[in-house]
Order: sequence, then structure tokens, then C-alpha cells
Amino acid sequence: MSAATYISAEQLSVLVAELVAAGTRVVAPVSAADGTANYSEIETLAQATFNDALPMPSLKGHFLPPSEPLLSWRQNGGDVELTPAPNCFAAQVVLGARPCDVAALNVVDSVMNWDYHDDLWNGRRDASTIISIACPGVDESCFCSAVGLGPDATRGTDALLVAVEGGYLFEPVSEKGEAFLGEYERFFTAAPDTALAAGEAFRAEARARVEANLNIDTKRIEHWIDGHFDDDFWPTLGPRCNGCGACASVCPTCHCFDITDEQTGVGTGVRRRSWDTCQAKKFTLHASGHNPRDDQNSRHRQRISHKFYIYPSKFGDVLCTGCGRCVRVCPAGQDLIEILQGIDQLALSEEGSL
Amino acid sequence: MSELQDLARKLLEEGTVQVVIGWEAGRRGLRPVTITDPSDVEKLVFDTRSVHNLATYLDPRRTQVRKLGKPAIVVKGCDTKAVAALLREAQIERDEVVLIGVRCGGVVKDPAGDATLTLETVAPRCAGCDVREPHLADFIIGEEQPEPPQVTSIDERVAELDAMTPDERFEFWASQMEKCVRCYACRQACPLCVCDQCVADKTVPQWIERSPHARGNLSWHMTRALHLAGRCVGCGECERACPVGIPITLINRKLQQIVAESFDFEVSDDPATASPIGTFRDDDREDFIL
Repeated sequence: MSAATYISAEQLSVLVAELVAAGTRVVAPVSAADGTANYSEIETLAQATFNDALPMPSLKGHFLPPSEPLLSWRQNGGDVELTPAPNCFAAQVVLGARPCDVAALNVVDSVMNWDYHDDLWNGRRDASTIISIACPGVDESCFCSAVGLGPDATRGTDALLVAVEGGYLFEPVSEKGEAFLGEYERFFTAAPDTALAAGEAFRAEARARVEANLNIDTKRIEHWIDGHFDDDFWPTLGPRCNGCGACASVCPTCHCFDITDEQTGVGTGVRRRSWDTCQAKKFTLHASGHNPRDDQNSRHRQRISHKFYIYPSKFGDVLCTGCGRCVRVCPAGQDLIEILQGIDQLALSEEGSL
Repeated sequence: MSELQDLARKLLEEGTVQVVIGWEAGRRGLRPVTITDPSDVEKLVFDTRSVHNLATYLDPRRTQVRKLGKPAIVVKGCDTKAVAALLREAQIERDEVVLIGVRCGGVVKDPAGDATLTLETVAPRCAGCDVREPHLADFIIGEEQPEPPQVTSIDERVAELDAMTPDERFEFWASQMEKCVRCYACRQACPLCVCDQCVADKTVPQWIERSPHARGNLSWHMTRALHLAGRCVGCGECERACPVGIPITLINRKLQQIVAESFDFEVSDDPATASPIGTFRDDDREDFIL
């Protein structure tokens, strides 16, 4: 891996213009009128904002859109013609994504390549180069450090930017990142020592800020959930919960979807997949009318169990990158940080009593 | 605060109710809490961040709340309009719930934000509040509060939209609806969205397209708005719950203005007033029927 190089804001702007001119789709955080930012396609770097606000929702939608066609059909006499949705995607560069969002893509890769290789997900992943940006740590709901990451984590990224005066340090961390640097070398210069030092200081400060928010042992939590399916803890979570999917829709790792057929005309239609959530009553409703998760207590247990026990048991990763969006967005004040602290404490006290 | 806590303790200890639903201080501002143990009443808080409409927790379909037993809920005046609507529509019986009314001087928009009421922080629905005294409640507690800061009322915001050309208005709503991911947070947060099975969840036949694309989103938002016409109490919980910031209350309010004009009905805290959707009159307007 190369040491960090430097790119000035002006040069980055020219680089983006060149990418766009070459037909590359460039995605970056863009400011909304209310001060928030969201990941959108940009034409020029001036449209992007690399301020402190965490983009909302997560980057997920650029890899697993809220809704996308899987195939279309046309009835032709007694036959049905099926046309799969195209799974070739134009080259895409994601610029300035937060480390929590980028790590999430890598975590979700496991399930998208498990017993089924998801062509649409993988097609977009293969077509993308991801250049993340070290995060300052947004607020008291950030907890990436507690789930094995950090505000400057490089998991899943191709290169990491660190904002310094006048520009950015650029640290390639994958072959794609090296290739990107190689191809656009003329925009980069050697990083001055002062910038390197400033970058290090920024990263250390951000890590300290986020680490102070939550300190848990995710392994201990995983072990506790296994074997506590009927614990009294779970029914304390349901009453407050509205049972909406706001948490799942802003979550960078929630990837469940529903598949529906929609007619577009007489004898023609589209099969689509759209985001779904285990917090919805209908998610597990059987055709018989039976619902194995028949209240919000059991649905909330599912959300926590899937993220911190089921997924790690299967794939070795917690299905959470600590972005804290679910905490910030919940209209009822449900707080994942507090839930994790609660489980960690229960696990600790049981360890102590053994 | 002790007045609220003492009353809650009394109701729980006497066995009048088994659960008190109010607000507590969380890590980030205030949030709803269910108190079943009298020794926990000290958690109960009421201040300008008591934003949530707790009448939402009276929905009989929230079985995880139902199973806690008979509830007392803490209500602001505006929240009692939602309770009145549930009574009007026979979703609950009056003796199934104890209402602890609190005198309110306005709430902020964000329960996790600054508690100081200013023109920037105050919830839009507090402008022109007509239910500062929660008459429907069994108990009314707290001191009389000063009037909240008078922000731009929702009617003025609706008027701005009305002043647009149809094309401009369509453009405005199209750009808003485009953001919708169909998480249904608006429906789940609504104290009056109490259908056993929502039409949006029907797949056989599918009335509303499930997918968050332009057509599906338009079907969903039109249906939601029409189902709430003459029922919406303007609490704004739908808009607060929306993770993508769609100004849903503007649609609700527009529909309410039309209902008021067509059927001479204003949503109030009086459960005895019949709602337009639940009544038939010979002189009901039908000039909109082709």
C-alpha cells in the first residue's frame, strides 16, 4: 500500500470534471435545503459537500435501490417472454462516502454472495470505485468504534481521503484505489509533512470522540442473544416502537427486500424488488393468517438478533456499522446504543454470577 | 413534575390502571415511556419536548401495549383531539383509558433538540392552538402556560402552495414524493391509522403498487390523504416520523380545509360531534359527482 499523497481541492475539482466528461457516474454527499446532505449524482465538485453532517439516508440506495426491476414479462399467445433486467452498470465513483457506509457494503457482500450470487448488487459493486472520507465523528449517536470500525476505518474502501488545509490526503487501500491513483497520478502531489501531521491529528481526535460514545463487547452480546430468545429483556423494547421501517430504511446494512409483480399494460408487467423491513407486521405474515412474529416485541427482538447474533454467526460480522442513523431517525426515541449497553450489562452480570 | 408523578403513582398503586404512558428523558431528549411499576414514576417528565402524540399508543392493534393492562396516558390538549377521534370512531371506549391532561404552552419540533421555545424551534401546529386546556381529560394538571411563539401557521404554508400554478404545484409534490421509500413511518406514527389491514398492504388484489416509484408513491400518498380527510387531527406525527422529510402535514391540512368548507366540520376535542366520514345527510354536497 502506498503512503498518502495529496490532492488540492482545485485539482480534485478538475479530476471530477474529467470523470464526469468521460461518462463516469460520480456520487457524493450533496447539501439539501435544510442543512442535511444526501448521496446524489454530481456533475461538478462544487455540488458536493464534505461538511460534518452525516448524509441521510445511507449510501445503500446506490447499490440496492429502494426499488428496482428484476425482470419484465410479456404474454405472447400461450407463451410468456421473460426479459431479465440489465445487470451491466456504467462505471461509478463514489466520492466522500463515510467509512460506516462503505464498510456496510463490504459486510452485506457476504449475504449477496452466499447461496445466491446477486447479479444486480455485484454488478454495481464491480462497476464502482469508492473513495471514502475520514469522518470527524458526527454526534453522540455515532458508535462505529464499538462495532470494530472507526471514523477513519478503511474497510470496504478503495481509497481514503482525509480533509486537510486546502485539500485532501489520499490513501489508496485496495488494488482499485492504487489503479485510480495510477491513472490520475497527474492530479496528485507528495503530501507535505504538515498535512500528514494534521491528518493524523484529525483522525486521532475523531477516534477518541467516537470511542467515548459506546464501549461494548459484541462477542459477549452475540453469545448472550444465543440462548436468551425468551428473555424478559425483549418485551421491554416493543411498547415504545411504532413498528415503522424508518430505522431499516436509513440503515446502511439492512438489506431485506420484498418481490412483487406489477402490471404495466395488458399482458405486460415488471417484477420488482423493493426495500422491506422485519419491523413491519406483514413481513412474516403467512398465507394461512398465522404470524410467527405477532407483536412488536418479537419484531424488535428479530432486528437486534439478526444484526448481533444471526448474521455474525453465519458470516462473522455484526450487521451494523455504528452509523447511528436508526437512533437519530426514530420518531419514538428507540435507542440502539442503549439497547446494546443493556444487553452487554445483562451478559456481564450473568458471566459474573457463573 | 411531582404533581404528574404523584398522580401516576396513585393510579398505579390503587390499581385504577396497570400502565402509565408518558414521557421520560432518554439519552437524546424526551421519548415515550410505559411505566408499570409505581416505583418508576420518577422517570415521568413533561416539558416543551413532550412532542409525541401518545394517543398513538391507544391503538388496540398495538398488542404489546395492550398486554400491559389498562392505560393512563398523558395528553396535551392537541393530543386529546386524537383521543376524541378514536372515541368518535368507536376504536376505544372512554372508560378503557384514563387521560392525564397537562396544560401546555407549546412544544418544540424535535424532542431531541433544544427545549427552548423560539420561532425557530416551536412546532408549527402550536400556532393558533385552540385546545390549550385538555377538557376531555379525567385530570388536568400543571400551571397555566404562556402562549407559544406564533410561527407561520400551516394555513399560510398551504396558501403558498395554493398560489402556485398547477404545474408548479405538481412539480413541488413530484419532487417530494420522489423521496418516499415507503417505509410507512407516517402510517405507523399516525394515531388514526388504525386499520387492521391497510389497503397498502393488500397484494391480492394489489390496489396500491408496493414499489417506491413515482406511480406507487402517488397512489400511496393520495390514498393515505383521502383516508384521513375529516379525520386527521393535525398532530404532525406523520411528518416528524418521515425519515426523508416529506411535508405530509400540508396535504392533510389542505384536505381538512376542503372538508371544513364542504361539510362544515372542524376537527375538535369533542367526541360527540359526528365526523363527515361517519355520517350521511340528505343535503350533503354531491356536485363533485359526475
